[in-house]
Amino acid sequence: MSLPSRRQAGRRVAVVLATGTLALAAALAVALLLGPQPVSPRAALAGLEPDRAILLGLRLPRALLGGVVGAALATAGVALQALLRNPLAEPFVLGVSGGAALGGTAMLVASSVLGPASILGGLAGSGSAVALGAAAGAAASTALVFALGRVGGRLSPESALLVGVVFNAFAAGLITVVKVLVPPEQAARLLYWLMGAVGYADAGALWAGSTLVAVAVAGLVLLSGQLNLLSLGDEEAASLGVEVGRSRGAVFLAASLATGAAVALAGMVGFVGLLVPHFLRRLFGPDHRLLVPASALFGAAFLVLADALARLAFLPLGSEPPVGALTALAGGPFFLWLLRRTERSA
Amino acid sequence: MRTVTLTRAMAGAALAAALALPAARAAEGLPRGEPAWLGPKPPARPARVVSLAPSLTDVVLALGQGHKLAGVTRYDTAPEVKPLPRVGGFLDPNPEAVLALRPDLVLWLADGGAWPAVQRIAELGVPVLALPVVGVPDVLRTARLVGAALGDAAAGERLAGELEGAVAAAERKAAGLPRRRVLLVIGRDPLVVAGPGSYPDALLRIAGGDNVAKSERPWPVYSLEQAVVDDPDLVIDAAVNEPPEGLAHLSAIPAVRRGRIARLPDDRVLRPGPQLPAALSQLLAAIHPEARTP
Repeated sequence: MSLPSRRQAGRRVAVVLATGTLALAAALAVALLLGPQPVSPRAALAGLEPDRAILLGLRLPRALLGGVVGAALATAGVALQALLRNPLAEPFVLGVSGGAALGGTAMLVASSVLGPASILGGLAGSGSAVALGAAAGAAASTALVFALGRVGGRLSPESALLVGVVFNAFAAGLITVVKVLVPPEQAARLLYWLMGAVGYADAGALWAGSTLVAVAVAGLVLLSGQLNLLSLGDEEAASLGVEVGRSRGAVFLAASLATGAAVALAGMVGFVGLLVPHFLRRLFGPDHRLLVPASALFGAAFLVLADALARLAFLPLGSEPPVGALTALAGGPFFLWLLRRTERSA
Repeated sequence: MRTVTLTRAMAGAALAAALALPAARAAEGLPRGEPAWLGPKPPARPARVVSLAPSLTDVVLALGQGHKLAGVTRYDTAPEVKPLPRVGGFLDPNPEAVLALRPDLVLWLADGGAWPAVQRIAELGVPVLALPVVGVPDVLRTARLVGAALGDAAAGERLAGELEGAVAAAERKAAGLPRRRVLLVIGRDPLVVAGPGSYPDALLRIAGGDNVAKSERPWPVYSLEQAVVDDPDLVIDAAVNEPPEGLAHLSAIPAVRRGRIARLPDDRVLRPGPQLPAALSQLLAAIHPEARTP
C-alpha cells in the first residue's frame, strides 16, 4: 500500500469516528434532556433535587445502557453479515439472540432450583452469571446455525437464516415452558427481562456488560481487515492468506460475546444489527475497517434515540413500550424490503 | 498465530470481566415475604406519599391520611385521589414521575416485576416501604405498618382491629352454616382460578367455603376438565372485567348447569386491603344465599 492511500484511509477512519461520536453525543443529549418531567441541567449540576436524581440517576444510566446494547448488536450484525455474505444476517434473525435468552434463562432457573440463598444458587442468579450464560447460549446457537446451515460442505446463507428462524421459534417455545415451570415471581422477572426493555440495570450489571461488549467490539475492530477478506468467500480469503477457520472462529466468539452481553442487559431487542449496518454501508461503503467502528458508534446512537422515542411517544398514555417493540416495528418491514431487493438483484 | 492469540485474549478478558465483578447482581435483594424498608431512613411524619398500588392507596385513605398522597397509579379509582398525578402502573411504575413529585415516602406492594424500578427509586434517596401482601395476616400487618410509617400508629392499630373484628364476625357467621366446596374464577379465557395460598382462598375459608382448586401455584391456569372433575357445589365468578356472555364457557361444570354460579359485583375479593369486610360479606352472601346476610 502506498503512503498517500494510507493517509487517505486514515482520514476516512477519522471522519467516520468523528461523525459517529457526534451522532452519539446528539442522541445522548436528546435522551438526557427530553423526558416526561421538565428538568434543568444547570439545576442538576448544582445538585438540586429532583433534577439531579432524574438526570444523573435515571436518564444517564439508562442512556448508557441503551448505548452499550446498541453498539453490541450493530457490531455483531455487521460481523455476521460479513461471515454469511448476506445483508439479512442479524443476531435476532439468526437465532443468536434466542440462544442468548435461552442461556440466560437457564442460569436464572438454575439459581431458583439450587435456591437463591445457597452459594451456588446465588452465583447462578447473579448478573455476571446470567451474562455468561447468555454469551454461552449465543455462542452455541451461532455454532448450530453455521453447522446446520451447510449444504454440501459449503455454508449456504439462506439455509443458515432458515435454521436461525426455526431455532428462534424453538427457543421461544422452550422459554415459555420454563416460564410455566418456575415460581410466579421468577416468571415475572423473566418476562420483564425478555421483553427487550432498556430499563434500570444496576451499576454492577452495567459494568460487567459494558466490559464484555468493549472486549468484543475491540476484537472485531482488530479483525475488521480479515472481515473484508472473509466477505469475499472462503476460497478467496484462503488464497489471500487468511486462515479461514481460525478467523471465523474468532469472529464467532466476538459476535456471540457482544450479543450475549446485549441480551443479558436488555433482553431481546431485534433488528438493530440489520438497520444500522445497512444504513452505514450506504454512507461509508463496504470497507469493514470503517464499518465495524462506525457500527459501534452509530448503533449506540440509534438505540439511545429509539429508547428516548419509546419514552416520549407514548407519554400521553402514561406508559411506555419496550424499545424492542419499536426496533421490531421499524426492522420487520425493512427486513422484508431488503429481502425483496436482494432477490431482485440476485 | 495472531488470530488464535486474539481469540484467546478475548475469551480470557471476557471471563475475567464477568468473574471479577461480583457486584453485578440481576435481582438480588428483593425482599421476600417480609416487609422491608429500602433507601434512606424515612421521616417520622412524611408529608408527600406516593402509593404504588390501589390497595395501599385504600389503606392510606382508610387511615384518614388521604391529604398526604402526592401520587397514585393509573389503576387507582377512588374518588378522593381522582385529581392526583399518576406515576405509571402497578407493574411498571415510572421512576421519573415518582421522583418529580419529590415524595418523602413511597409505598410499594412488593412484586418482582417492578423491582428494578423501585430499587432505583430507593437508591436515589427516596424511602420505600416494601409491603408483601398475600394473606389476611398481611393485610392486618400492612394497616399497622402504614399507620406507623405515616406517623399515626394509633390509627393503624385501630384499622387493624376493625379488620380483625370483621374477620372474626364472618367466621362466627360461617360456623353455624354448612361448608360448601367452591371454585373461584378469576379469568375465564383462559380459565384462571384462585389456588391455595392466594388471597381469595383465605377469604373463602373464613366465609365457610372450601376451595376445590388444588395446585402448586396461587393463580393457576386451570383446565376446564379438572374443574368438571372437581365438581364444586358452587362457582364464584370474580372475572368482573370480562363480559357476562363468557359465562357460557363454564357451562361444562355441573354446578354452573344447576345455576349454582354467583357473580361478584366488583373486584374487592382480589384487593387485599381495607375492603376486606365488604369482600367477606360478598362471599358470605354468595356461599350461603339462604342465610340472607344483611
